[in-house]
Amino acid sequence: MAEAFKAFTQEWMDEWKKTINASKEYKEIAKDWEGSVSITVNADPSKNVPEPVYMFTDYWHGDALDFLICDNAKAQTAKFIMSGDYSRWKQVAKKELDATKALMQGKLKLKGDLTYVVRNVKTINKVVDLLTEVNTIFPDEV
Amino acid sequence: MNLPPATSIRQDKENEMVYDDSLSFVYLGPTKIIFGSGSSTSELESEMSALGCSRAVVVTDPGIIKAGLSEKIVKTLGDKCVGVFSDVPQDTGIDVVNRGAAFAREKGADIVISIGGGSVIDTAKCMCILLTEGGSLANYEGIQLLTRLQTPHIVIPTTAGTGSEVTWVAVIYDKDKGQKILIVETYNAPRAAILDPQLTLKLPPLLTASTGMDAMTHAIEAMTSVQREPMADAMALHAIRLLSTYLPQCIKDGSNLHARGQVQLAATMAGWAFGNAMVGIVHAMAHSIGAVARVPHGVSCGILLPYCMDFNISDGDEDAIAIYATIAQALGVSTRDDEPKKAAMAAVNEIFALLKRIEHPIKLSAFGVKEADIIKAADLSIADGAIVNNIRCVSDKEEVLAVYRKAL
Repeated sequence: MAEAFKAFTQEWMDEWKKTINASKEYKEIAKDWEGSVSITVNADPSKNVPEPVYMFTDYWHGDALDFLICDNAKAQTAKFIMSGDYSRWKQVAKKELDATKALMQGKLKLKGDLTYVVRNVKTINKVVDLLTEVNTIFPDEV
Repeated sequence: MNLPPATSIRQDKENEMVYDDSLSFVYLGPTKIIFGSGSSTSELESEMSALGCSRAVVVTDPGIIKAGLSEKIVKTLGDKCVGVFSDVPQDTGIDVVNRGAAFAREKGADIVISIGGGSVIDTAKCMCILLTEGGSLANYEGIQLLTRLQTPHIVIPTTAGTGSEVTWVAVIYDKDKGQKILIVETYNAPRAAILDPQLTLKLPPLLTASTGMDAMTHAIEAMTSVQREPMADAMALHAIRLLSTYLPQCIKDGSNLHARGQVQLAATMAGWAFGNAMVGIVHAMAHSIGAVARVPHGVSCGILLPYCMDFNISDGDEDAIAIYATIAQALGVSTRDDEPKKAAMAAVNEIFALLKRIEHPIKLSAFGVKEADIIKAADLSIADGAIVNNIRCVSDKEEVLAVYRKAL
Protein backbone atom coordinates (compact mmCIF):
# COMPACT_ATOMS: atom_id res chain seq x y z
CA MET A 1 0.00 0.00 0.00
CA ALA A 2 1.27 3.49 -0.89
CA GLU A 3 2.68 5.62 1.89
CA ALA A 4 0.09 7.95 3.43
CA PHE A 5 0.74 11.66 3.99
CA LYS A 6 -0.93 14.06 6.39
CA ALA A 7 -2.77 16.72 4.43
CA PHE A 8 -1.45 20.29 4.52
CA THR A 9 2.08 19.29 5.53
CA GLN A 10 5.24 20.00 3.54
CA GLU A 11 5.72 16.24 2.96
CA TRP A 12 2.24 16.05 1.45
CA MET A 13 2.98 19.06 -0.77
CA ASP A 14 6.24 17.43 -1.91
CA GLU A 15 4.42 14.22 -2.82
CA TRP A 16 1.75 16.15 -4.74
CA LYS A 17 4.46 18.01 -6.68
CA LYS A 18 6.27 14.72 -7.40
CA THR A 19 3.03 13.19 -8.72
CA ILE A 20 2.42 16.17 -10.99
CA ASN A 21 5.95 16.18 -12.37
CA ALA A 22 5.71 12.45 -13.09
CA SER A 23 2.59 12.89 -15.22
CA LYS A 24 3.18 13.02 -18.98
CA GLU A 25 -0.46 13.88 -19.48
CA TYR A 26 -0.10 16.90 -17.17
CA LYS A 27 2.97 18.11 -19.06
CA GLU A 28 1.00 18.11 -22.30
CA ILE A 29 -2.18 19.68 -20.89
CA ALA A 30 -0.30 22.35 -18.92
CA LYS A 31 2.30 23.26 -21.54
CA ASP A 32 0.94 26.83 -21.77
CA TRP A 33 0.32 27.47 -18.05
CA GLU A 34 2.44 30.16 -16.43
CA GLY A 35 2.11 31.22 -12.82
CA SER A 36 1.40 30.47 -9.21
CA VAL A 37 -1.73 29.51 -7.32
CA SER A 38 -2.14 29.88 -3.57
CA ILE A 39 -4.65 27.90 -1.59
CA THR A 40 -6.05 29.07 1.73
CA VAL A 41 -7.86 26.55 3.90
CA ASN A 42 -9.99 28.41 6.43
CA ALA A 43 -9.60 27.36 10.06
CA ASP A 44 -12.09 24.79 11.34
CA PRO A 45 -11.18 23.75 14.89
CA SER A 46 -13.98 21.17 14.95
CA LYS A 47 -12.16 19.34 12.13
CA ASN A 48 -8.68 19.61 13.66
CA VAL A 49 -7.74 22.64 11.56
CA PRO A 50 -7.16 25.16 14.38
CA GLU A 51 -5.50 27.83 12.21
CA PRO A 52 -5.84 28.77 8.54
CA VAL A 53 -3.45 26.86 6.27
CA TYR A 54 -1.70 28.73 3.46
CA MET A 55 -0.14 26.88 0.55
CA PHE A 56 1.80 28.27 -2.40
CA THR A 57 2.11 26.28 -5.61
CA ASP A 58 3.93 27.40 -8.73
CA TYR A 59 3.70 26.02 -12.28
CA TRP A 60 5.52 26.80 -15.51
CA HIS A 61 4.92 25.22 -18.90
CA GLY A 62 4.11 21.74 -17.63
CA ASP A 63 6.43 21.69 -14.63
CA ALA A 64 5.52 22.06 -10.97
CA LEU A 65 8.04 24.38 -9.27
CA ASP A 66 7.75 25.62 -5.67
CA PHE A 67 5.17 23.77 -3.56
CA LEU A 68 5.28 25.30 -0.11
CA ILE A 69 3.35 25.62 3.13
CA CYS A 70 3.60 29.37 3.64
CA ASP A 71 2.19 32.37 5.48
CA ASN A 72 -0.63 34.68 4.42
CA ALA A 73 1.78 37.29 3.06
CA LYS A 74 3.36 34.79 0.65
CA ALA A 75 -0.07 33.42 -0.33
CA GLN A 76 -1.17 36.91 -1.33
CA THR A 77 1.68 37.17 -3.85
CA ALA A 78 0.33 34.36 -6.05
CA LYS A 79 -1.10 35.05 -9.49
CA PHE A 80 -4.28 33.26 -8.43
CA ILE A 81 -5.53 33.21 -4.85
CA MET A 82 -8.04 30.51 -3.95
CA SER A 83 -9.72 30.12 -0.57
CA GLY A 84 -12.44 28.13 1.08
CA ASP A 85 -13.56 26.10 4.07
CA TYR A 86 -11.75 22.92 5.04
CA SER A 87 -14.74 20.70 4.28
CA ARG A 88 -14.96 22.06 0.72
CA TRP A 89 -11.26 21.56 0.03
CA LYS A 90 -11.51 18.02 1.37
CA GLN A 91 -14.40 17.34 -1.01
CA VAL A 92 -12.32 18.70 -3.90
CA ALA A 93 -9.25 16.69 -2.89
CA LYS A 94 -11.36 13.51 -2.72
CA LYS A 95 -12.95 14.33 -6.11
CA GLU A 96 -16.38 14.52 -4.54
CA LEU A 97 -16.70 18.12 -5.70
CA ASP A 98 -15.58 19.60 -9.02
CA ALA A 99 -13.39 22.65 -8.29
CA THR A 100 -14.88 24.67 -11.16
CA LYS A 101 -18.41 23.91 -10.00
CA ALA A 102 -17.46 24.79 -6.42
CA LEU A 103 -16.20 28.19 -7.59
CA MET A 104 -19.34 28.94 -9.57
CA GLN A 105 -21.53 27.92 -6.63
CA GLY A 106 -19.64 30.11 -4.17
CA LYS A 107 -18.22 27.16 -2.21
CA LEU A 108 -14.69 28.33 -3.05
CA LYS A 109 -13.38 31.80 -3.88
CA LEU A 110 -10.87 32.82 -6.54
CA LYS A 111 -9.04 36.10 -7.03
CA GLY A 112 -7.29 36.60 -10.35
CA ASP A 113 -7.72 36.58 -14.10
CA LEU A 114 -10.74 34.39 -14.54
CA THR A 115 -10.50 34.30 -18.33
CA TYR A 116 -7.06 32.68 -17.95
CA VAL A 117 -8.51 30.11 -15.57
CA VAL A 118 -11.42 29.41 -17.91
CA ARG A 119 -9.04 28.90 -20.84
CA ASN A 120 -6.90 26.57 -18.75
CA VAL A 121 -9.57 24.73 -16.81
CA LYS A 122 -8.25 21.37 -18.01
CA THR A 123 -4.91 22.13 -16.34
CA ILE A 124 -6.62 22.90 -13.06
CA ASN A 125 -8.72 19.77 -13.22
CA LYS A 126 -5.62 17.70 -13.93
CA VAL A 127 -3.76 19.15 -10.92
CA VAL A 128 -6.72 18.22 -8.73
CA ASP A 129 -6.91 14.78 -10.35
CA LEU A 130 -3.28 14.16 -9.51
CA LEU A 131 -3.84 15.23 -5.92
CA THR A 132 -6.33 12.40 -5.55
CA GLU A 133 -3.49 10.01 -6.40
CA VAL A 134 -1.67 11.08 -3.23
CA ASN A 135 -2.65 8.80 -0.36
CA THR A 136 -3.89 11.46 2.06
CA ILE A 137 -4.82 11.44 5.73
CA PHE A 138 -7.11 14.39 6.42
CA PRO A 139 -6.99 16.25 9.76
CA ASP A 140 -10.44 15.06 10.82
CA GLU A 141 -9.51 11.44 10.06
CA VAL A 142 -6.49 11.34 12.36
CA MET B 1 -9.80 14.48 -17.33
CA ASN B 2 -11.81 12.88 -14.55
CA LEU B 3 -14.43 15.25 -13.24
CA PRO B 4 -16.90 13.87 -10.73
CA PRO B 5 -19.49 12.08 -12.83
CA ALA B 6 -22.43 14.22 -13.91
CA THR B 7 -25.81 13.18 -12.69
CA SER B 8 -26.99 10.49 -15.03
CA ILE B 9 -30.17 10.99 -16.98
CA ARG B 10 -32.45 8.23 -18.12
CA GLN B 11 -35.95 7.92 -19.39
CA ASP B 12 -38.42 5.97 -17.30
CA LYS B 13 -41.02 3.60 -18.74
CA GLU B 14 -43.16 6.58 -19.65
CA ASN B 15 -40.19 8.20 -21.44
CA GLU B 16 -40.01 10.93 -18.80
CA MET B 17 -36.52 12.26 -18.08
CA VAL B 18 -35.39 11.30 -14.56
CA TYR B 19 -32.21 11.89 -12.54
CA ASP B 20 -30.26 9.25 -10.68
CA ASP B 21 -29.59 9.10 -6.93
CA SER B 22 -26.24 10.93 -7.14
CA LEU B 23 -28.11 14.18 -7.79
CA SER B 24 -26.57 17.05 -5.82
CA PHE B 25 -26.71 20.71 -6.81
CA VAL B 26 -27.10 24.34 -5.81
CA TYR B 27 -29.62 26.49 -7.68
CA LEU B 28 -29.51 30.27 -7.43
CA GLY B 29 -32.12 32.67 -8.74
CA PRO B 30 -31.99 35.74 -6.52
CA THR B 31 -33.44 38.26 -8.98
CA LYS B 32 -37.08 39.29 -8.60
CA ILE B 33 -38.94 39.34 -11.92
CA ILE B 34 -41.64 41.88 -12.74
CA PHE B 35 -43.27 41.23 -16.08
CA GLY B 36 -45.91 43.10 -18.04
CA SER B 37 -46.54 45.49 -20.88
CA GLY B 38 -45.76 48.99 -19.61
CA SER B 39 -44.18 47.64 -16.42
CA SER B 40 -40.97 49.63 -17.01
CA THR B 41 -42.88 52.78 -16.11
CA SER B 42 -45.75 51.50 -13.96
CA GLU B 43 -43.73 49.29 -11.59
CA LEU B 44 -40.33 50.94 -11.33
CA GLU B 45 -41.01 53.42 -8.56
CA SER B 46 -42.63 50.88 -6.28
CA GLU B 47 -39.77 48.44 -6.85
CA MET B 48 -37.33 51.20 -5.91
CA SER B 49 -39.30 51.93 -2.76
CA ALA B 50 -39.46 48.24 -1.90
CA LEU B 51 -35.67 48.27 -1.93
CA GLY B 52 -35.64 51.32 0.34
CA CYS B 53 -34.16 53.54 -2.36
CA SER B 54 -35.05 57.01 -3.53
CA ARG B 55 -32.08 58.30 -5.58
CA ALA B 56 -31.53 56.47 -8.86
CA VAL B 57 -28.83 56.81 -11.44
CA VAL B 58 -29.99 55.49 -14.80
CA VAL B 59 -27.34 53.73 -16.89
CA THR B 60 -27.98 53.38 -20.61
CA ASP B 61 -26.35 53.96 -24.01
CA PRO B 62 -26.73 56.54 -26.78
CA GLY B 63 -28.65 54.10 -29.01
CA ILE B 64 -31.31 53.53 -26.35
CA ILE B 65 -31.68 57.27 -25.83
CA LYS B 66 -31.92 57.84 -29.62
CA ALA B 67 -34.58 55.12 -29.88
CA GLY B 68 -36.54 56.93 -27.17
CA LEU B 69 -36.64 53.87 -24.91
CA SER B 70 -35.34 55.54 -21.74
CA GLU B 71 -37.12 58.88 -21.93
CA LYS B 72 -40.47 57.78 -20.50
CA ILE B 73 -38.80 55.79 -17.75
CA VAL B 74 -36.65 58.71 -16.65
CA LYS B 75 -39.66 61.01 -16.77
CA THR B 76 -41.67 58.60 -14.61
CA LEU B 77 -38.95 58.65 -11.97
CA GLY B 78 -39.09 62.44 -11.73
CA ASP B 79 -37.00 63.68 -8.80
CA LYS B 80 -36.08 60.11 -7.93
CA CYS B 81 -33.76 60.07 -10.93
CA VAL B 82 -30.66 61.99 -9.85
CA GLY B 83 -28.80 61.52 -13.13
CA VAL B 84 -28.49 59.64 -16.40
CA PHE B 85 -25.17 58.05 -17.37
CA SER B 86 -25.39 57.20 -21.06
CA ASP B 87 -21.72 56.99 -21.96
CA VAL B 88 -21.69 53.20 -22.38
CA PRO B 89 -20.16 51.81 -25.60
CA GLN B 90 -20.96 48.42 -27.18
CA ASP B 91 -18.04 46.70 -25.44
CA THR B 92 -17.83 48.34 -22.04
CA GLY B 93 -14.59 48.82 -20.14
CA ILE B 94 -13.15 49.51 -16.70
CA ASP B 95 -12.76 53.21 -17.56
CA VAL B 96 -16.48 53.40 -18.34
CA VAL B 97 -17.35 51.73 -15.04
CA ASN B 98 -15.06 54.11 -13.14
CA ARG B 99 -16.65 57.13 -14.77
CA GLY B 100 -20.14 55.77 -14.14
CA ALA B 101 -19.41 55.01 -10.49
CA ALA B 102 -17.86 58.47 -9.94
CA PHE B 103 -20.94 60.05 -11.53
CA ALA B 104 -23.32 58.03 -9.35
CA ARG B 105 -21.32 58.81 -6.21
CA GLU B 106 -21.29 62.52 -7.01
CA LYS B 107 -25.05 62.42 -7.46
CA GLY B 108 -25.54 60.58 -4.17
CA ALA B 109 -27.27 57.64 -5.84
CA ASP B 110 -28.52 54.78 -3.68
CA ILE B 111 -29.64 52.55 -6.58
CA VAL B 112 -28.57 51.87 -10.17
CA ILE B 113 -31.15 51.30 -12.89
CA SER B 114 -29.87 49.90 -16.16
CA ILE B 115 -31.85 50.22 -19.39
CA GLY B 116 -30.29 48.36 -22.31
CA GLY B 117 -28.51 45.21 -23.41
CA GLY B 118 -25.56 43.22 -22.10
CA SER B 119 -22.95 45.98 -22.14
CA VAL B 120 -25.15 48.44 -20.24
CA ILE B 121 -26.20 45.79 -17.70
CA ASP B 122 -22.61 44.68 -17.09
CA THR B 123 -21.48 48.29 -16.63
CA ALA B 124 -24.22 48.80 -14.04
CA LYS B 125 -23.33 45.56 -12.24
CA CYS B 126 -19.74 46.71 -11.83
CA MET B 127 -20.74 50.25 -10.81
CA CYS B 128 -22.72 48.67 -7.95
CA ILE B 129 -19.56 46.98 -6.65
CA LEU B 130 -17.55 50.20 -6.71
CA LEU B 131 -20.37 52.13 -5.03
CA THR B 132 -20.46 49.64 -2.17
CA GLU B 133 -16.86 48.55 -1.81
CA GLY B 134 -14.89 51.44 -3.28
CA GLY B 135 -11.39 50.88 -4.63
CA SER B 136 -10.53 49.58 -8.06
CA LEU B 137 -12.54 47.11 -10.09
CA ALA B 138 -9.37 45.09 -10.64
CA ASN B 139 -9.55 44.09 -6.95
CA TYR B 140 -12.76 42.19 -7.69
CA GLU B 141 -11.59 40.25 -10.72
CA GLY B 142 -12.40 36.67 -9.86
CA ILE B 143 -15.16 34.54 -8.41
CA GLN B 144 -17.23 35.09 -5.27
CA LEU B 145 -14.88 37.51 -3.51
CA LEU B 146 -17.64 39.67 -2.04
CA THR B 147 -19.15 38.99 1.36
CA ARG B 148 -22.23 41.23 1.38
CA LEU B 149 -25.02 42.48 -0.83
CA GLN B 150 -24.02 45.31 -3.16
CA THR B 151 -25.77 48.55 -4.13
CA PRO B 152 -29.26 47.65 -5.41
CA HIS B 153 -29.60 47.30 -9.17
CA ILE B 154 -32.80 47.08 -11.19
CA VAL B 155 -32.42 45.91 -14.79
CA ILE B 156 -34.77 46.90 -17.58
CA PRO B 157 -33.60 44.89 -20.61
CA THR B 158 -34.23 46.13 -24.13
CA THR B 159 -33.22 42.92 -25.90
CA ALA B 160 -34.35 39.33 -25.35
CA GLY B 161 -31.50 36.88 -25.44
CA THR B 162 -28.47 37.39 -23.23
CA GLY B 163 -30.18 36.58 -19.92
CA SER B 164 -27.82 39.12 -18.25
CA GLU B 165 -30.73 40.45 -16.21
CA VAL B 166 -30.63 37.35 -14.00
CA THR B 167 -26.99 36.29 -14.10
CA TRP B 168 -24.25 37.36 -11.70
CA VAL B 169 -21.46 37.55 -14.24
CA ALA B 170 -20.05 40.78 -15.69
CA VAL B 171 -17.64 40.96 -18.63
CA ILE B 172 -15.58 44.16 -18.75
CA TYR B 173 -12.73 45.21 -21.04
CA ASP B 174 -9.50 46.09 -19.28
CA LYS B 175 -7.62 48.48 -21.57
CA ASP B 176 -4.37 48.14 -19.63
CA LYS B 177 -4.34 44.37 -19.97
CA GLY B 178 -5.80 44.46 -23.48
CA GLN B 179 -8.34 41.77 -22.58
CA LYS B 180 -11.76 41.20 -21.06
CA ILE B 181 -12.01 40.40 -17.37
CA LEU B 182 -14.72 38.38 -15.67
CA ILE B 183 -16.36 39.22 -12.38
CA VAL B 184 -18.62 36.49 -10.98
CA GLU B 185 -20.47 37.48 -7.82
CA THR B 186 -23.75 36.07 -6.57
CA TYR B 187 -23.91 38.97 -4.07
CA ASN B 188 -24.07 41.29 -7.08
CA ALA B 189 -26.97 39.70 -8.97
CA PRO B 190 -29.52 42.34 -9.96
CA ARG B 191 -32.19 42.70 -7.25
CA ALA B 192 -34.98 42.99 -9.80
CA ALA B 193 -35.54 42.75 -13.54
CA ILE B 194 -38.48 44.53 -15.08
CA LEU B 195 -39.43 42.80 -18.31
CA ASP B 196 -41.48 45.16 -20.42
CA PRO B 197 -42.11 43.67 -23.88
CA GLN B 198 -42.90 47.12 -25.27
CA LEU B 199 -39.17 47.88 -25.11
CA THR B 200 -38.33 45.06 -27.55
CA LEU B 201 -40.91 45.98 -30.21
CA LYS B 202 -38.36 47.94 -32.26
CA LEU B 203 -35.76 45.15 -32.45
CA PRO B 204 -35.08 44.45 -36.16
CA PRO B 205 -35.75 40.90 -37.48
CA LEU B 206 -32.15 39.67 -37.68
CA LEU B 207 -31.39 40.89 -34.16
CA THR B 208 -34.64 39.36 -32.92
CA ALA B 209 -33.74 36.03 -34.55
CA SER B 210 -30.13 35.94 -33.40
CA THR B 211 -30.77 37.03 -29.81
CA GLY B 212 -33.62 34.52 -29.71
CA MET B 213 -31.31 31.75 -30.89
CA ASP B 214 -28.77 32.83 -28.28
CA ALA B 215 -31.49 32.19 -25.69
CA MET B 216 -32.42 28.86 -27.34
CA THR B 217 -28.75 27.84 -27.17
CA HIS B 218 -28.56 28.81 -23.48
CA ALA B 219 -31.55 26.60 -22.78
CA ILE B 220 -30.45 23.56 -24.80
CA GLU B 221 -26.82 23.74 -23.65
CA ALA B 222 -27.84 24.09 -19.99
CA MET B 223 -29.72 20.81 -20.34
CA THR B 224 -26.78 19.06 -21.98
CA SER B 225 -24.16 20.43 -19.59
CA VAL B 226 -22.41 18.09 -17.18
CA GLN B 227 -23.64 20.52 -14.51
CA ARG B 228 -27.29 20.05 -15.49
CA GLU B 229 -29.84 19.85 -12.70
CA PRO B 230 -33.63 19.71 -12.48
CA MET B 231 -34.37 23.33 -11.52
CA ALA B 232 -32.31 24.66 -14.43
CA ASP B 233 -33.80 21.98 -16.70
CA ALA B 234 -37.32 23.11 -15.82
CA MET B 235 -36.46 26.69 -16.77
CA ALA B 236 -34.72 25.53 -19.93
CA LEU B 237 -37.55 23.28 -21.07
CA HIS B 238 -40.16 26.00 -20.78
CA ALA B 239 -37.83 28.48 -22.48
CA ILE B 240 -37.50 26.03 -25.39
CA ARG B 241 -41.29 25.65 -25.62
CA LEU B 242 -41.84 29.42 -25.65
CA LEU B 243 -39.04 30.19 -28.13
CA SER B 244 -40.15 27.46 -30.48
CA THR B 245 -43.68 28.86 -30.61
CA TYR B 246 -43.18 32.60 -30.30
CA LEU B 247 -39.85 33.44 -31.92
CA PRO B 248 -41.26 32.80 -35.43
CA GLN B 249 -44.26 34.97 -34.53
CA CYS B 250 -41.94 37.85 -33.57
CA ILE B 251 -40.19 37.57 -36.93
CA LYS B 252 -43.48 37.46 -38.82
CA ASP B 253 -44.83 40.47 -36.97
CA GLY B 254 -42.39 42.48 -34.88
CA SER B 255 -45.22 44.43 -33.31
CA ASN B 256 -46.82 41.31 -31.81
CA LEU B 257 -46.60 42.35 -28.17
CA HIS B 258 -47.74 38.99 -26.82
CA ALA B 259 -45.09 37.09 -28.78
CA ARG B 260 -42.41 39.62 -27.78
CA GLY B 261 -43.30 39.12 -24.14
CA GLN B 262 -43.15 35.33 -24.34
CA VAL B 263 -39.72 35.50 -25.99
CA GLN B 264 -38.53 37.92 -23.31
CA LEU B 265 -39.69 35.51 -20.59
CA ALA B 266 -37.98 32.64 -22.39
CA ALA B 267 -34.68 34.54 -22.56
CA THR B 268 -34.84 35.21 -18.82
CA MET B 269 -35.64 31.56 -18.02
CA ALA B 270 -32.80 30.45 -20.26
CA GLY B 271 -30.55 32.93 -18.42
CA TRP B 272 -31.39 31.26 -15.11
CA ALA B 273 -30.84 27.84 -16.67
CA PHE B 274 -27.35 28.50 -18.02
CA GLY B 275 -26.39 30.76 -15.10
CA ASN B 276 -26.70 27.68 -12.92
CA ALA B 277 -25.85 24.82 -15.25
CA MET B 278 -23.39 26.54 -17.64
CA VAL B 279 -23.05 26.12 -21.41
CA GLY B 280 -21.06 23.77 -23.65
CA ILE B 281 -19.57 23.20 -27.08
CA VAL B 282 -21.79 25.66 -28.98
CA HIS B 283 -20.62 28.53 -26.81
CA ALA B 284 -17.00 27.40 -26.94
CA MET B 285 -17.18 27.41 -30.74
CA ALA B 286 -19.19 30.66 -30.92
CA HIS B 287 -16.71 32.47 -28.62
CA SER B 288 -13.85 31.23 -30.80
CA ILE B 289 -15.29 32.07 -34.22
CA GLY B 290 -16.32 35.43 -32.78
CA ALA B 291 -12.73 36.11 -31.74
CA VAL B 292 -11.24 34.95 -35.06
CA ALA B 293 -13.77 36.22 -37.62
CA ARG B 294 -15.96 38.67 -35.68
CA VAL B 295 -19.15 36.66 -36.26
CA PRO B 296 -21.80 38.12 -33.91
CA HIS B 297 -22.35 35.88 -30.89
CA GLY B 298 -26.08 35.21 -31.31
CA VAL B 299 -25.70 34.44 -35.01
CA SER B 300 -22.86 31.99 -34.50
CA CYS B 301 -24.77 30.24 -31.69
CA GLY B 302 -27.78 29.82 -33.95
CA ILE B 303 -25.76 28.49 -36.88
CA LEU B 304 -23.69 26.08 -34.79
CA LEU B 305 -26.44 24.79 -32.47
CA PRO B 306 -27.97 22.05 -34.67
CA TYR B 307 -24.58 20.80 -35.87
CA CYS B 308 -23.35 20.56 -32.28
CA MET B 309 -26.54 18.76 -31.20
CA ASP B 310 -25.95 16.26 -33.99
CA PHE B 311 -22.34 15.85 -32.82
CA ASN B 312 -23.44 15.27 -29.21
CA ILE B 313 -25.68 12.33 -30.09
CA SER B 314 -23.64 10.84 -32.91
CA ASP B 315 -21.59 8.66 -30.56
CA GLY B 316 -24.78 7.02 -29.28
CA ASP B 317 -24.52 8.37 -25.71
CA GLU B 318 -27.74 7.36 -23.95
CA ASP B 319 -27.85 10.40 -21.65
CA ALA B 320 -27.52 12.79 -24.56
CA ILE B 321 -30.17 10.94 -26.54
CA ALA B 322 -32.57 10.94 -23.55
CA ILE B 323 -32.12 14.69 -23.05
CA TYR B 324 -32.54 15.57 -26.72
CA ALA B 325 -35.63 13.33 -26.85
CA THR B 326 -37.09 15.42 -24.03
CA ILE B 327 -36.09 18.60 -25.88
CA ALA B 328 -37.88 17.25 -28.95
CA GLN B 329 -41.07 17.01 -26.89
CA ALA B 330 -40.62 20.66 -25.82
CA LEU B 331 -40.06 21.61 -29.46
CA GLY B 332 -43.34 19.87 -30.29
CA VAL B 333 -41.86 17.36 -32.73
CA SER B 334 -42.02 14.22 -30.65
CA THR B 335 -44.18 12.44 -28.11
CA ARG B 336 -43.28 10.25 -25.16
CA ASP B 337 -44.11 7.18 -27.25
CA ASP B 338 -41.36 7.84 -29.78
CA GLU B 339 -38.18 5.84 -29.83
CA PRO B 340 -35.51 8.04 -28.08
CA LYS B 341 -32.91 8.08 -30.89
CA LYS B 342 -35.53 8.99 -33.46
CA ALA B 343 -36.90 11.72 -31.15
CA ALA B 344 -33.40 13.11 -30.53
CA MET B 345 -32.80 13.40 -34.29
CA ALA B 346 -36.18 15.10 -34.64
CA ALA B 347 -34.93 17.76 -32.20
CA VAL B 348 -31.85 18.38 -34.34
CA ASN B 349 -33.93 18.63 -37.51
CA GLU B 350 -36.42 20.94 -35.86
CA ILE B 351 -33.67 23.43 -34.94
CA PHE B 352 -32.63 23.47 -38.61
CA ALA B 353 -36.27 24.06 -39.56
CA LEU B 354 -36.66 26.80 -36.93
CA LEU B 355 -33.63 28.65 -38.32
CA LYS B 356 -35.30 28.67 -41.73
CA ARG B 357 -38.65 29.81 -40.31
CA ILE B 358 -37.06 32.78 -38.57
CA GLU B 359 -34.84 33.58 -41.56
CA HIS B 360 -31.71 33.13 -39.49
CA PRO B 361 -28.40 32.67 -41.35
CA ILE B 362 -27.51 28.98 -41.60
CA LYS B 363 -23.89 29.05 -42.76
CA LEU B 364 -20.80 30.76 -41.31
CA SER B 365 -19.53 31.52 -44.83
CA ALA B 366 -22.32 34.11 -45.11
CA PHE B 367 -20.21 36.15 -42.65
CA GLY B 368 -17.03 35.77 -44.66
CA VAL B 369 -15.66 32.89 -42.58
CA LYS B 370 -12.96 30.91 -44.40
CA GLU B 371 -11.34 27.52 -43.86
CA ALA B 372 -8.29 29.21 -42.29
CA ASP B 373 -10.57 30.90 -39.74
CA ILE B 374 -12.20 27.67 -38.61
CA ILE B 375 -8.81 26.00 -38.22
CA LYS B 376 -7.75 28.79 -35.85
CA ALA B 377 -11.14 28.73 -34.12
CA ALA B 378 -10.98 24.95 -33.58
CA ASP B 379 -7.70 25.45 -31.71
CA LEU B 380 -9.28 28.12 -29.50
CA SER B 381 -12.44 26.07 -28.91
CA ILE B 382 -10.55 23.20 -27.33
CA ALA B 383 -9.08 25.66 -24.79
CA ASP B 384 -12.39 27.43 -24.10
CA GLY B 385 -13.76 26.88 -20.61
CA ALA B 386 -17.28 26.14 -21.83
CA ILE B 387 -16.23 22.98 -23.64
CA VAL B 388 -15.47 21.11 -20.41
CA ASN B 389 -19.16 21.30 -19.48
CA ASN B 390 -20.32 19.64 -22.69
CA ILE B 391 -22.17 16.35 -22.31
CA ARG B 392 -19.88 14.72 -24.87
CA CYS B 393 -16.24 14.94 -23.84
CA VAL B 394 -14.32 16.83 -26.52
CA SER B 395 -10.53 16.66 -26.42
CA ASP B 396 -9.54 16.52 -30.09
CA LYS B 397 -9.58 19.72 -32.13
CA GLU B 398 -10.28 17.66 -35.27
CA GLU B 399 -13.70 16.80 -33.84
CA VAL B 400 -14.47 20.51 -33.44
CA LEU B 401 -13.09 21.30 -36.88
CA ALA B 402 -15.38 18.68 -38.43
CA VAL B 403 -18.39 20.43 -36.85
CA TYR B 404 -17.17 23.83 -38.08
CA ARG B 405 -16.77 22.43 -41.60
CA LYS B 406 -20.38 21.26 -41.63
CA ALA B 407 -21.49 24.75 -40.57
CA LEU B 408 -19.19 26.59 -42.98
